[in-house]
Amino acid sequence: MRIRIFLLGLAIAGLSILPAYSHGVGYRDAGLKAIALEFFYSTGEKMSYREARVFSPNDNKFAVQSGRTDEQGRFAFVPDCVGEWRVIVRDEEGHQCEAKIDIAQEFLDGTEKHENITEHETLPQGMDLVIRALLGVSIIFNIAMIFRRKG
Amino acid sequence: MHISEGILSGTVLAVGWAGTCAGISVGLKKTDTSKIVRTALLSSAFFLASLVNVRIGPSSTHLSLIAPIGLVLGWSSFPAIFTALLLQALLFHFGGLLVLGVNTFCMAFPALMVYLLFGRSVRERTGVISALLSFVSGALAVMTGAGLVGLSLGLTDGNFAAASKIIIMAHVPLAVIEGIITAFMILWLKKSAPEFLQ
Repeated sequence: MRIRIFLLGLAIAGLSILPAYSHGVGYRDAGLKAIALEFFYSTGEKMSYREARVFSPNDNKFAVQSGRTDEQGRFAFVPDCVGEWRVIVRDEEGHQCEAKIDIAQEFLDGTEKHENITEHETLPQGMDLVIRALLGVSIIFNIAMIFRRKG
Repeated sequence: MHISEGILSGTVLAVGWAGTCAGISVGLKKTDTSKIVRTALLSSAFFLASLVNVRIGPSSTHLSLIAPIGLVLGWSSFPAIFTALLLQALLFHFGGLLVLGVNTFCMAFPALMVYLLFGRSVRERTGVISALLSFVSGALAVMTGAGLVGLSLGLTDGNFAAASKIIIMAHVPLAVIEGIITAFMILWLKKSAPEFLQ
């Protein structure tokens, strides 16, 4: 009788351990290179904790990865095929930034250390900004003069 | 307050363009050629105001000057704001060309609204009451614009309440700033160039 009770107890204990093994988790170094981007507003403010979605070259409709940028407006992903990858970051106020990254075979092979990503600023800076501002004002007044002559 | 390209649904974009086209058409008919220079002047001010950043705590925003434009130009606000937003999209990459209709309506409608609600009172009253009405115009125009942006986003993703709440809350400090600027601008115009408000 004691042996039976002992065996029953052992069986219950064994069954209770089994699910723990079947849902076990772990981690290891993936040994892959990631593309890390930083998103910001034209004011210089970081796009912190904003919704981010990654689209692979094979599927423009469904994101292969989604999440949020960190406090510094950074978001990283690991591309696994050659082509143009898109990362779209948007906020709740209607601002959206789309980054397009061309991934080459050299990057996937690991022969190229970093993918060449140039800074993409939507708002022109320095003298370019001043020239564009003056051009805009000039266009507005020229349109006004055309209307005035016609009227 | 510019909505970026690629966010809104086709229906919302179409409704925005319809409202903007109607506003521009009435605006152009009502624009007196003798007042075209002031329209250009305020359109330029709106165009450049987007480059002026205002720090509000940890974040920042830019000025819009919607209410002063509305109080001075009335219906002409539509063509003035449309032209400025078109040039901002082309030269500064703010907003976009497809979303231009919605962006114009979100800013020109509040300008027209404050003109119809407060334009006459602001012109006729003097002193503190005029300043107070101008302040209310400035704040109300910003909050209405923010509400319209929230409505556009909410109609697209079906979550109007959440989108509007976030946007309206974010624009409260700007509404106060624009209210103060509007009050000072109107008082200065009444003193230095009253013909601007005629």
